Amino acid sequence: MSSKAKISGSVVAGFPSPAEQYLEPPLDLNELLVKRPAATYFVRVEGDSMVGAGIRDGDLLVVDRSLRPADGDVIIASVDGDFTVKTYRRDKDGVRLEPANPEYPVIPLRPGQELDYFGKVTACIHRFARKR
Amino acid sequence: MIGLVDGNNFFVSCERVFNRRLVGRPVAVLSNNDGCCVSRSNEFKALGIPMGTPYFQLKAREASGELSFCSSNYELYGDMSRRIISILREEAVDVEQYSIDEAFIFPPTTAAADYLAYGRRLRDKILRWVGIPCGIGFAPTKTLAKIANHIGKKRPDGVFLMPDDPTEILAALPVQEVWGVGRRLPLKLRAERILTAQHLRDAPDDTIRSIGGVTLLRTAMELRGIPCHEERDYDADPDSISCSRSFGEPATTAEALAESLAAYTAQAAAKLRRHGLLAAGCNIYAQIFASGGGGDFLGRTVVFSAPTDATNEMLRAIREEVDALYIEGTRYRKTGIVFFGLEKPGTAHQTDLFDASPPAEKSRLYATVDALNARYGKGKVFSAAQGLGARSWHMKRQKLSRRPTTRWDELMTVR
Repeated sequence: MSSKAKISGSVVAGFPSPAEQYLEPPLDLNELLVKRPAATYFVRVEGDSMVGAGIRDGDLLVVDRSLRPADGDVIIASVDGDFTVKTYRRDKDGVRLEPANPEYPVIPLRPGQELDYFGKVTACIHRFARKR
Repeated sequence: MIGLVDGNNFFVSCERVFNRRLVGRPVAVLSNNDGCCVSRSNEFKALGIPMGTPYFQLKAREASGELSFCSSNYELYGDMSRRIISILREEAVDVEQYSIDEAFIFPPTTAAADYLAYGRRLRDKILRWVGIPCGIGFAPTKTLAKIANHIGKKRPDGVFLMPDDPTEILAALPVQEVWGVGRRLPLKLRAERILTAQHLRDAPDDTIRSIGGVTLLRTAMELRGIPCHEERDYDADPDSISCSRSFGEPATTAEALAESLAAYTAQAAAKLRRHGLLAAGCNIYAQIFASGGGGDFLGRTVVFSAPTDATNEMLRAIREEVDALYIEGTRYRKTGIVFFGLEKPGTAHQTDLFDASPPAEKSRLYATVDALNARYGKGKVFSAAQGLGARSWHMKRQKLSRRPTTRWDELMTVR
Protein backbone atom coordinates (compact mmCIF):
# COMPACT_ATOMS: atom_id res chain seq x y z
CA MET A 1 0.00 0.00 0.00
CA SER A 2 1.15 3.48 -0.72
CA SER A 3 0.58 5.23 2.59
CA LYS A 4 3.05 3.57 4.88
CA ALA A 5 4.08 5.54 7.91
CA LYS A 6 7.72 6.40 8.20
CA ILE A 7 8.96 5.80 11.67
CA SER A 8 12.14 7.37 12.86
CA GLY A 9 13.27 8.04 16.37
CA SER A 10 14.12 11.55 17.36
CA VAL A 11 16.10 12.16 20.46
CA VAL A 12 16.36 15.64 21.82
CA ALA A 13 18.52 14.87 24.81
CA GLY A 14 19.62 11.91 26.84
CA PHE A 15 20.44 8.42 25.65
CA PRO A 16 19.22 7.07 22.31
CA SER A 17 16.39 4.59 22.64
CA PRO A 18 17.75 1.05 22.54
CA ALA A 19 14.60 0.05 20.61
CA GLU A 20 15.13 2.56 17.83
CA GLN A 21 16.98 0.32 15.43
CA TYR A 22 14.33 -2.37 15.88
CA LEU A 23 11.34 -0.17 15.06
CA GLU A 24 9.20 -1.48 12.23
CA PRO A 25 5.90 -0.42 10.71
CA PRO A 26 2.89 -2.03 12.40
CA LEU A 27 1.25 -5.08 10.83
CA ASP A 28 -1.17 -4.17 8.09
CA LEU A 29 -4.00 -6.52 7.10
CA ASN A 30 -3.99 -5.07 3.58
CA GLU A 31 -0.42 -6.25 3.15
CA LEU A 32 -1.46 -9.76 4.18
CA LEU A 33 -4.72 -10.06 2.25
CA VAL A 34 -4.33 -7.83 -0.78
CA LYS A 35 -1.30 -8.78 -2.84
CA ARG A 36 -2.37 -6.94 -5.99
CA PRO A 37 -4.64 -3.96 -5.17
CA ALA A 38 -5.36 -3.25 -8.86
CA ALA A 39 -6.81 -6.75 -9.29
CA THR A 40 -8.49 -7.18 -5.89
CA TYR A 41 -12.21 -6.82 -5.24
CA PHE A 42 -14.32 -7.41 -2.13
CA VAL A 43 -17.66 -9.18 -2.40
CA ARG A 44 -20.36 -10.12 0.11
CA VAL A 45 -21.71 -13.68 0.51
CA GLU A 46 -25.46 -14.26 0.48
CA GLY A 47 -26.72 -17.70 1.46
CA ASP A 48 -25.11 -20.93 2.63
CA SER A 49 -24.17 -22.81 -0.57
CA MET A 50 -20.51 -22.87 0.50
CA VAL A 51 -20.96 -23.37 4.23
CA GLY A 52 -18.97 -26.65 4.12
CA ALA A 53 -15.95 -24.69 2.89
CA GLY A 54 -16.22 -22.28 5.82
CA ILE A 55 -17.93 -19.56 3.81
CA ARG A 56 -21.05 -18.35 5.57
CA ASP A 57 -23.92 -15.99 4.90
CA GLY A 58 -22.71 -12.39 5.30
CA ASP A 59 -19.00 -13.16 5.04
CA LEU A 60 -16.68 -10.87 3.13
CA LEU A 61 -14.56 -12.48 0.40
CA VAL A 62 -11.29 -11.16 -0.98
CA VAL A 63 -11.18 -11.87 -4.71
CA ASP A 64 -8.11 -11.66 -6.94
CA ARG A 65 -8.96 -11.38 -10.64
CA SER A 66 -5.34 -11.81 -11.75
CA LEU A 67 -5.21 -15.49 -10.77
CA ARG A 68 -6.34 -18.12 -13.26
CA PRO A 69 -8.57 -20.84 -11.81
CA ALA A 70 -7.17 -24.30 -11.08
CA ASP A 71 -9.04 -27.47 -10.08
CA GLY A 72 -10.13 -27.18 -6.44
CA ASP A 73 -9.98 -23.37 -6.21
CA VAL A 74 -12.86 -21.43 -4.72
CA ILE A 75 -13.86 -18.93 -7.39
CA ILE A 76 -16.44 -16.29 -8.29
CA ALA A 77 -18.16 -16.75 -11.64
CA SER A 78 -21.30 -15.53 -13.28
CA VAL A 79 -23.99 -18.08 -14.10
CA ASP A 80 -26.93 -16.82 -16.16
CA GLY A 81 -26.10 -13.26 -15.17
CA ASP A 82 -25.81 -13.84 -11.40
CA PHE A 83 -22.55 -14.07 -9.49
CA THR A 84 -21.91 -17.22 -7.53
CA VAL A 85 -19.15 -18.54 -5.28
CA LYS A 86 -18.31 -22.22 -5.84
CA THR A 87 -15.43 -24.68 -6.04
CA TYR A 88 -14.00 -24.90 -9.53
CA ARG A 89 -13.64 -28.48 -10.83
CA ARG A 90 -11.87 -29.42 -13.99
CA ASP A 91 -11.15 -33.07 -14.77
CA LYS A 92 -11.95 -35.82 -17.28
CA ASP A 93 -15.67 -35.14 -16.82
CA GLY A 94 -15.22 -31.54 -17.90
CA VAL A 95 -15.66 -28.27 -16.02
CA ARG A 96 -18.22 -27.73 -13.26
CA LEU A 97 -18.94 -25.54 -10.26
CA GLU A 98 -19.41 -27.41 -7.02
CA PRO A 99 -21.22 -26.12 -3.94
CA ALA A 100 -20.03 -27.08 -0.45
CA ASN A 101 -23.51 -27.90 0.77
CA PRO A 102 -25.42 -31.09 -0.23
CA GLU A 103 -28.65 -29.12 -0.54
CA TYR A 104 -27.36 -27.28 -3.61
CA PRO A 105 -26.87 -28.75 -7.10
CA VAL A 106 -23.58 -29.02 -8.97
CA ILE A 107 -23.51 -26.61 -11.92
CA PRO A 108 -22.02 -28.36 -14.98
CA LEU A 109 -20.68 -26.42 -17.95
CA ARG A 110 -22.14 -27.53 -21.25
CA PRO A 111 -19.54 -28.56 -23.83
CA GLY A 112 -18.47 -25.43 -25.69
CA GLN A 113 -19.88 -23.15 -22.98
CA GLU A 114 -17.23 -20.80 -21.67
CA LEU A 115 -16.94 -20.13 -17.96
CA ASP A 116 -17.74 -16.48 -17.15
CA TYR A 117 -14.94 -16.25 -14.59
CA PHE A 118 -14.65 -13.23 -12.28
CA GLY A 119 -11.81 -14.11 -9.94
CA LYS A 120 -10.30 -16.42 -7.38
CA VAL A 121 -11.27 -16.17 -3.72
CA THR A 122 -8.08 -15.74 -1.70
CA ALA A 123 -9.56 -15.09 1.75
CA CYS A 124 -12.80 -15.19 3.67
CA ILE A 125 -13.39 -12.67 6.42
CA HIS A 126 -15.93 -13.77 8.98
CA ARG A 127 -16.97 -11.28 11.63
CA PHE A 128 -18.56 -12.53 14.82
CA ALA A 129 -20.46 -9.39 15.74
CA ARG A 130 -21.25 -8.03 12.38
CA LYS A 131 -23.83 -5.58 11.33
CA ARG A 132 -25.42 -6.13 8.00
CA MET B 1 7.91 5.47 -28.91
CA ILE B 2 4.66 6.59 -27.30
CA GLY B 3 1.61 4.47 -26.62
CA LEU B 4 -1.95 5.59 -26.16
CA VAL B 5 -4.11 3.27 -24.06
CA ASP B 6 -7.83 3.86 -23.77
CA GLY B 7 -10.75 1.87 -22.45
CA ASN B 8 -13.27 0.78 -25.07
CA ASN B 9 -16.72 2.26 -24.39
CA PHE B 10 -15.23 2.84 -20.95
CA PHE B 11 -18.29 3.66 -18.84
CA VAL B 12 -20.31 0.80 -20.35
CA SER B 13 -17.38 -1.57 -19.88
CA CYS B 14 -17.13 -0.62 -16.19
CA GLU B 15 -20.84 -1.35 -15.70
CA ARG B 16 -20.46 -4.72 -17.40
CA VAL B 17 -17.72 -5.92 -15.04
CA PHE B 18 -20.28 -6.00 -12.22
CA ASN B 19 -23.47 -6.56 -14.18
CA ARG B 20 -23.07 -9.50 -16.53
CA ARG B 21 -26.64 -9.17 -17.78
CA LEU B 22 -25.47 -6.15 -19.76
CA VAL B 23 -22.96 -8.22 -21.74
CA GLY B 24 -23.89 -8.59 -25.41
CA ARG B 25 -26.79 -6.14 -25.07
CA PRO B 26 -27.31 -2.65 -26.48
CA VAL B 27 -26.59 -0.52 -23.41
CA ALA B 28 -25.69 3.13 -22.89
CA VAL B 29 -24.54 5.21 -19.93
CA LEU B 30 -26.34 8.53 -19.49
CA SER B 31 -24.88 11.96 -18.75
CA ASN B 32 -25.54 13.98 -15.57
CA ASN B 33 -29.21 14.03 -14.61
CA ASP B 34 -29.84 11.13 -16.99
CA GLY B 35 -29.83 13.56 -19.90
CA CYS B 36 -28.35 11.84 -22.93
CA CYS B 37 -26.15 8.92 -24.06
CA VAL B 38 -22.47 9.51 -23.32
CA SER B 39 -21.06 5.98 -23.61
CA ARG B 40 -22.49 3.26 -25.83
CA SER B 41 -21.83 -0.45 -26.20
CA ASN B 42 -20.98 -1.79 -29.67
CA GLU B 43 -24.43 -3.36 -29.85
CA PHE B 44 -25.97 0.05 -29.11
CA LYS B 45 -23.83 1.73 -31.77
CA ALA B 46 -24.83 -0.95 -34.26
CA LEU B 47 -28.45 0.22 -33.94
CA GLY B 48 -27.34 3.56 -35.33
CA ILE B 49 -28.28 5.59 -32.22
CA PRO B 50 -25.78 8.45 -32.10
CA MET B 51 -23.80 9.73 -29.14
CA GLY B 52 -25.71 12.48 -27.31
CA THR B 53 -29.18 11.16 -28.11
CA PRO B 54 -31.55 12.40 -25.36
CA TYR B 55 -32.71 9.66 -23.03
CA PHE B 56 -36.40 10.64 -23.19
CA GLN B 57 -36.45 9.83 -26.91
CA LEU B 58 -35.39 6.26 -26.13
CA LYS B 59 -37.56 5.52 -23.09
CA ALA B 60 -40.12 3.53 -25.08
CA ARG B 61 -37.41 1.27 -26.48
CA GLU B 62 -36.12 0.75 -22.95
CA ALA B 63 -39.60 -0.20 -21.71
CA SER B 64 -39.93 -2.75 -24.50
CA GLY B 65 -36.71 -4.37 -23.31
CA GLU B 66 -34.72 -3.52 -26.42
CA LEU B 67 -32.27 -1.08 -24.81
CA SER B 68 -30.65 -0.81 -21.37
CA PHE B 69 -29.44 2.35 -19.62
CA CYS B 70 -27.29 3.23 -16.60
CA SER B 71 -26.79 6.57 -14.84
CA SER B 72 -23.22 7.84 -14.66
CA ASN B 73 -21.53 6.04 -11.76
CA TYR B 74 -18.46 8.26 -11.47
CA GLU B 75 -17.40 6.64 -8.20
CA LEU B 76 -17.06 3.31 -10.00
CA TYR B 77 -15.47 4.68 -13.18
CA GLY B 78 -12.94 6.67 -11.16
CA ASP B 79 -11.87 3.59 -9.21
CA MET B 80 -11.58 1.41 -12.32
CA SER B 81 -9.53 4.14 -13.99
CA ARG B 82 -7.22 4.25 -10.96
CA ARG B 83 -6.68 0.49 -11.23
CA ILE B 84 -5.76 0.69 -14.92
CA ILE B 85 -3.35 3.57 -14.31
CA SER B 86 -1.62 1.66 -11.53
CA ILE B 87 -1.08 -1.30 -13.87
CA LEU B 88 0.30 1.03 -16.56
CA ARG B 89 2.67 2.56 -14.01
CA GLU B 90 4.02 -0.92 -13.28
CA GLU B 91 4.49 -1.80 -16.94
CA ALA B 92 5.68 1.48 -18.46
CA VAL B 93 8.54 3.86 -17.75
CA ASP B 94 6.19 6.82 -17.52
CA VAL B 95 2.45 7.38 -17.68
CA GLU B 96 0.57 10.60 -18.45
CA GLN B 97 -3.10 10.27 -17.69
CA TYR B 98 -5.03 12.31 -20.23
CA SER B 99 -8.60 11.69 -19.17
CA ILE B 100 -10.58 9.21 -17.09
CA ASP B 101 -10.19 6.55 -19.81
CA GLU B 102 -7.06 7.58 -21.71
CA ALA B 103 -3.37 7.61 -20.90
CA PHE B 104 -0.14 8.05 -22.81
CA ILE B 105 2.57 5.57 -21.89
CA PHE B 106 6.29 5.49 -22.52
CA PRO B 107 7.22 1.82 -22.96
CA PRO B 108 10.41 0.38 -21.45
CA THR B 109 13.35 -0.22 -23.79
CA THR B 110 12.75 -3.95 -23.49
CA ALA B 111 9.49 -3.47 -25.40
CA ALA B 112 11.26 -2.03 -28.45
CA ALA B 113 11.98 -5.46 -29.93
CA ASP B 114 8.26 -6.12 -30.36
CA TYR B 115 5.80 -3.36 -29.48
CA LEU B 116 2.86 -5.41 -30.65
CA ALA B 117 3.69 -8.26 -28.27
CA TYR B 118 4.18 -5.76 -25.43
CA GLY B 119 0.84 -4.13 -26.23
CA ARG B 120 -1.02 -7.42 -26.38
CA ARG B 121 0.43 -8.49 -23.04
CA LEU B 122 -0.55 -5.16 -21.47
CA ARG B 123 -4.05 -5.32 -22.93
CA ASP B 124 -4.51 -8.88 -21.69
CA LYS B 125 -3.34 -7.92 -18.20
CA ILE B 126 -5.78 -5.01 -17.93
CA LEU B 127 -8.60 -7.18 -19.24
CA ARG B 128 -7.90 -9.94 -16.71
CA TRP B 129 -7.08 -7.78 -13.69
CA VAL B 130 -9.66 -5.03 -14.12
CA GLY B 131 -12.07 -6.46 -16.68
CA ILE B 132 -11.90 -3.54 -19.12
CA PRO B 133 -11.02 -4.10 -22.81
CA CYS B 134 -8.58 -1.48 -24.08
CA GLY B 135 -7.27 -0.26 -27.41
CA ILE B 136 -3.55 0.50 -27.64
CA GLY B 137 -1.71 2.39 -30.39
CA PHE B 138 2.04 2.94 -30.70
CA ALA B 139 3.72 5.69 -32.73
CA PRO B 140 6.63 8.13 -32.43
CA THR B 141 4.36 11.06 -31.44
CA LYS B 142 1.19 11.56 -29.40
CA THR B 143 -0.84 12.71 -32.39
CA LEU B 144 0.17 9.65 -34.41
CA ALA B 145 -0.38 7.41 -31.35
CA LYS B 146 -3.98 8.69 -31.19
CA ILE B 147 -4.49 7.61 -34.79
CA ALA B 148 -2.81 4.24 -34.17
CA ASN B 149 -5.09 3.75 -31.16
CA HIS B 150 -8.23 4.27 -33.27
CA ILE B 151 -7.03 1.64 -35.71
CA GLY B 152 -6.02 -0.74 -32.92
CA LYS B 153 -9.43 -0.51 -31.29
CA LYS B 154 -11.06 -1.95 -34.40
CA ARG B 155 -8.69 -4.93 -34.60
CA PRO B 156 -9.46 -8.18 -32.80
CA ASP B 157 -6.28 -7.98 -30.70
CA GLY B 158 -6.85 -4.28 -29.91
CA VAL B 159 -3.26 -3.24 -30.68
CA PHE B 160 -1.71 -1.33 -33.59
CA LEU B 161 1.81 -0.12 -34.34
CA MET B 162 2.08 2.81 -36.76
CA PRO B 163 4.24 1.74 -39.73
CA ASP B 164 7.46 3.68 -40.39
CA ASP B 165 5.77 5.31 -43.37
CA PRO B 166 2.19 6.14 -42.33
CA THR B 167 1.33 7.97 -45.59
CA GLU B 168 -1.33 5.50 -46.64
CA ILE B 169 -3.11 5.74 -43.28
CA LEU B 170 -2.92 9.54 -43.17
CA ALA B 171 -4.26 9.80 -46.72
CA ALA B 172 -7.40 7.93 -45.65
CA LEU B 173 -7.99 10.07 -42.55
CA PRO B 174 -10.18 13.22 -42.81
CA VAL B 175 -8.24 16.14 -41.38
CA GLN B 176 -10.92 17.04 -38.81
CA GLU B 177 -10.39 13.66 -37.16
CA VAL B 178 -6.80 14.50 -36.29
CA TRP B 179 -6.28 15.23 -32.59
CA GLY B 180 -5.92 18.97 -32.04
CA VAL B 181 -7.65 20.09 -35.23
CA GLY B 182 -10.61 22.06 -33.95
CA ARG B 183 -14.13 21.95 -35.27
CA ARG B 184 -13.87 25.44 -36.75
CA LEU B 185 -10.68 24.89 -38.67
CA PRO B 186 -11.85 22.46 -41.39
CA LEU B 187 -13.57 25.29 -43.31
CA LYS B 188 -10.35 27.25 -43.55
CA LEU B 189 -8.43 24.07 -44.26
CA ARG B 190 -10.79 23.13 -47.07
CA ALA B 191 -10.20 26.51 -48.66
CA GLU B 192 -6.53 25.55 -48.85
CA ARG B 193 -7.43 22.07 -50.12
CA ILE B 194 -6.21 20.44 -46.93
CA LEU B 195 -8.72 17.62 -46.56
CA THR B 196 -6.78 14.71 -45.11
CA ALA B 197 -4.17 14.19 -42.43
CA GLN B 198 -1.66 13.62 -45.23
CA HIS B 199 -2.46 17.02 -46.78
CA LEU B 200 -1.89 18.68 -43.42
CA ARG B 201 1.37 16.85 -42.88
CA ASP B 202 2.70 17.87 -46.30
CA ALA B 203 1.40 21.46 -46.43
CA PRO B 204 3.94 24.32 -46.28
CA ASP B 205 4.60 25.59 -42.76
CA ASP B 206 3.55 29.16 -43.66
CA THR B 207 0.17 28.00 -44.92
CA ILE B 208 -0.42 25.96 -41.79
CA ARG B 209 0.60 28.80 -39.51
CA SER B 210 -1.67 31.27 -41.29
CA ILE B 211 -4.64 28.93 -40.80
CA GLY B 212 -4.20 27.70 -37.26
CA GLY B 213 -1.15 29.39 -35.81
CA VAL B 214 1.64 27.62 -34.02
CA THR B 215 -0.77 25.10 -32.48
CA LEU B 216 -1.74 23.68 -35.86
CA LEU B 217 1.88 23.72 -37.00
CA ARG B 218 2.73 21.64 -33.96
CA THR B 219 0.04 19.13 -34.97
CA ALA B 220 1.52 18.97 -38.49
CA MET B 221 5.00 18.39 -37.05
CA GLU B 222 3.60 15.58 -34.93
CA LEU B 223 2.11 14.01 -38.08
CA ARG B 224 5.62 14.19 -39.58
CA GLY B 225 6.83 12.11 -36.66
CA ILE B 226 8.50 14.92 -34.71
CA PRO B 227 7.29 15.04 -31.07
CA CYS B 228 6.02 18.57 -30.33
CA HIS B 229 3.61 18.04 -27.48
CA GLU B 230 5.53 18.84 -24.36
CA GLU B 231 5.10 16.28 -21.65
CA ARG B 232 2.34 17.82 -19.69
CA ASP B 233 2.02 17.22 -16.04
CA TYR B 234 -1.71 16.71 -15.84
CA ASP B 235 -1.52 16.55 -12.06
CA ALA B 236 0.04 20.00 -11.84
CA ASP B 237 -1.72 22.85 -10.06
CA PRO B 238 -4.87 23.75 -11.91
CA ASP B 239 -5.42 27.27 -13.23
CA SER B 240 -8.88 27.40 -11.79
CA ILE B 241 -11.00 25.24 -9.52
CA SER B 242 -14.72 25.06 -9.87
CA CYS B 243 -17.76 22.99 -9.12
CA SER B 244 -21.18 23.21 -10.70
CA ARG B 245 -24.06 20.94 -11.47
CA SER B 246 -27.52 20.98 -12.98
CA PHE B 247 -30.48 20.36 -10.73
CA GLY B 248 -32.36 17.09 -11.12
CA GLU B 249 -35.52 19.15 -11.59
CA PRO B 250 -35.60 22.93 -12.09
CA ALA B 251 -35.22 24.51 -8.63
CA THR B 252 -37.61 27.17 -7.39
CA THR B 253 -36.70 27.78 -3.74
CA ALA B 254 -34.12 29.99 -2.08
CA GLU B 255 -33.11 26.95 0.02
CA ALA B 256 -32.23 24.85 -3.03
CA LEU B 257 -30.09 27.66 -4.37
CA ALA B 258 -28.32 28.27 -1.05
CA GLU B 259 -27.81 24.61 -0.17
CA SER B 260 -26.54 23.58 -3.58
CA LEU B 261 -24.09 26.47 -3.67
CA ALA B 262 -22.90 25.63 -0.15
CA ALA B 263 -22.35 22.00 -1.20
CA TYR B 264 -20.40 22.95 -4.35
CA THR B 265 -18.37 25.46 -2.34
CA ALA B 266 -17.49 22.71 0.14
CA GLN B 267 -16.52 20.35 -2.68
CA ALA B 268 -14.44 22.90 -4.53
CA ALA B 269 -12.78 24.00 -1.27
CA ALA B 270 -11.78 20.40 -0.53
CA LYS B 271 -10.20 20.24 -3.97
CA LEU B 272 -8.39 23.50 -3.25
CA ARG B 273 -6.96 22.00 -0.06
CA ARG B 274 -5.91 18.83 -1.89
CA HIS B 275 -3.80 20.99 -4.17
CA GLY B 276 -2.52 23.00 -1.20
CA LEU B 277 -3.91 26.24 -2.62
CA LEU B 278 -5.75 29.28 -1.30
CA ALA B 279 -8.35 31.26 -3.26
CA ALA B 280 -8.60 35.04 -3.20
CA GLY B 281 -12.26 34.98 -4.10
CA CYS B 282 -14.94 33.33 -6.16
CA ASN B 283 -17.68 33.82 -8.68
CA ILE B 284 -20.96 32.23 -7.78
CA TYR B 285 -23.64 31.90 -10.37
CA ALA B 286 -27.09 30.53 -11.07
CA GLN B 287 -28.54 29.76 -14.47
CA ILE B 288 -32.23 30.40 -15.08
CA PHE B 289 -34.14 27.49 -16.55
CA ALA B 290 -35.34 27.96 -20.12
CA SER B 291 -37.35 25.20 -21.73
CA GLY B 292 -35.43 25.23 -25.00
CA GLY B 293 -32.07 24.97 -23.22
CA GLY B 294 -29.74 27.86 -22.50
CA GLY B 295 -31.04 30.39 -20.00
CA ASP B 296 -29.55 33.54 -18.53
CA PHE B 297 -26.83 33.49 -15.92
CA LEU B 298 -26.97 35.51 -12.73
CA GLY B 299 -23.61 35.96 -11.09
CA ARG B 300 -21.93 37.54 -8.11
CA THR B 301 -18.28 38.04 -7.37
CA VAL B 302 -17.09 37.64 -3.83
CA VAL B 303 -13.62 38.52 -2.64
CA PHE B 304 -12.62 36.92 0.64
CA SER B 305 -11.17 39.12 3.38
CA ALA B 306 -7.93 37.17 2.92
CA PRO B 307 -7.05 34.23 0.61
CA THR B 308 -8.44 31.11 2.22
CA ASP B 309 -9.14 27.42 1.83
CA ALA B 310 -11.55 27.21 4.78
CA THR B 311 -15.09 26.23 3.79
CA ASN B 312 -16.75 28.03 6.70
CA GLU B 313 -15.11 31.36 5.87
CA MET B 314 -16.21 31.02 2.27
CA LEU B 315 -19.75 30.15 3.23
CA ARG B 316 -19.91 33.19 5.49
CA ALA B 317 -18.58 35.37 2.69
CA ILE B 318 -20.99 34.18 0.00
CA ARG B 319 -24.15 34.02 2.15
CA GLU B 320 -25.57 37.44 1.34
CA GLU B 321 -24.59 37.20 -2.30
CA VAL B 322 -26.40 33.91 -2.63
CA ASP B 323 -29.59 35.54 -1.41
CA ALA B 324 -29.11 38.19 -4.09
CA LEU B 325 -29.20 35.51 -6.80
CA TYR B 326 -32.68 34.43 -5.81
CA ILE B 327 -35.69 35.90 -7.54
CA GLU B 328 -39.02 34.64 -6.35
CA GLY B 329 -41.00 32.75 -8.97
CA THR B 330 -37.94 31.94 -11.06
CA ARG B 331 -36.96 28.41 -12.02
CA TYR B 332 -33.24 27.64 -11.97
CA ARG B 333 -31.32 25.12 -14.07
CA LYS B 334 -27.99 25.04 -12.28
CA THR B 335 -25.68 26.73 -9.82
CA GLY B 336 -21.94 26.79 -9.55
CA ILE B 337 -18.82 28.33 -8.08
CA VAL B 338 -15.47 29.18 -9.65
CA PHE B 339 -12.51 30.19 -7.51
CA PHE B 340 -10.04 32.75 -8.74
CA GLY B 341 -6.76 34.15 -7.55
CA LEU B 342 -5.26 30.78 -6.63
CA GLU B 343 -2.00 30.87 -4.74
CA LYS B 344 0.21 28.82 -2.49
CA PRO B 345 0.04 29.70 1.21
CA GLY B 346 2.92 31.84 2.38
CA THR B 347 2.73 34.06 -0.69
CA ALA B 348 2.80 37.59 0.64
CA HIS B 349 -0.58 39.20 1.12
CA GLN B 350 -2.13 41.61 3.52
CA THR B 351 -3.70 39.89 6.48
CA ASP B 352 -7.02 40.80 7.94
CA LEU B 353 -6.57 42.75 11.14
CA PHE B 354 -9.86 41.51 12.46
CA ASP B 355 -9.42 37.82 11.73
CA ALA B 356 -9.59 36.31 15.18
CA SER B 357 -8.69 32.67 14.61
CA PRO B 358 -5.04 31.86 14.01
CA PRO B 359 -4.42 30.18 10.62
CA ALA B 360 -2.99 27.04 12.19
CA GLU B 361 -6.27 26.37 13.94
CA LYS B 362 -8.28 26.72 10.74
CA SER B 363 -6.04 24.38 8.81
CA ARG B 364 -6.29 21.85 11.65
CA LEU B 365 -10.07 22.01 11.49
CA TYR B 366 -10.23 21.30 7.78
CA ALA B 367 -7.39 18.79 7.80
CA THR B 368 -9.58 16.88 10.24
CA VAL B 369 -12.75 17.35 8.16
CA ASP B 370 -10.95 16.14 5.01
CA ALA B 371 -9.45 13.17 6.84
CA LEU B 372 -12.84 12.16 8.26
CA ASN B 373 -14.48 12.41 4.85
CA ALA B 374 -11.67 10.44 3.24
CA ARG B 375 -12.08 7.73 5.83
CA TYR B 376 -15.83 7.52 6.33
CA GLY B 377 -17.03 8.59 2.90
CA LYS B 378 -17.47 11.82 1.03
CA GLY B 379 -19.85 14.24 2.71
CA LYS B 380 -19.99 12.57 6.14
CA VAL B 381 -18.86 15.79 7.82
CA PHE B 382 -20.38 18.86 6.23
CA SER B 383 -21.52 22.39 6.94
CA ALA B 384 -25.12 22.81 8.02
CA ALA B 385 -25.50 25.41 5.26
CA GLN B 386 -25.49 22.50 2.79
CA GLY B 387 -28.87 21.54 4.20
CA LEU B 388 -30.05 18.67 6.37
CA GLY B 389 -33.25 17.86 4.51
CA ALA B 390 -34.07 15.82 1.45
CA ARG B 391 -31.77 17.79 -0.87
CA SER B 392 -34.24 17.85 -3.70
CA TRP B 393 -31.65 19.70 -5.78
CA HIS B 394 -29.33 16.69 -5.97
CA MET B 395 -28.27 15.33 -9.30
CA LYS B 396 -30.78 12.89 -10.74
CA ARG B 397 -29.27 9.42 -11.12
CA GLN B 398 -32.28 7.15 -11.17
CA LYS B 399 -30.55 4.25 -12.85
CA LEU B 400 -27.42 4.33 -10.72
CA SER B 401 -25.68 0.99 -10.27
CA ARG B 402 -23.93 0.08 -7.03
CA ARG B 403 -20.53 1.46 -6.14
CA PRO B 404 -18.95 -1.92 -5.33
CA THR B 405 -15.33 -0.77 -5.16
CA THR B 406 -15.70 2.32 -2.98
CA ARG B 407 -18.62 1.66 -0.59
CA TRP B 408 -18.70 -1.13 1.96
CA ASP B 409 -22.51 -1.12 1.96
CA GLU B 410 -22.75 -1.47 -1.82
CA LEU B 411 -20.54 -4.52 -2.39
CA MET B 412 -21.32 -6.99 -5.13
CA THR B 413 -23.12 -10.03 -3.67
CA VAL B 414 -22.42 -13.67 -4.54
CA ARG B 415 -24.62 -16.67 -3.80
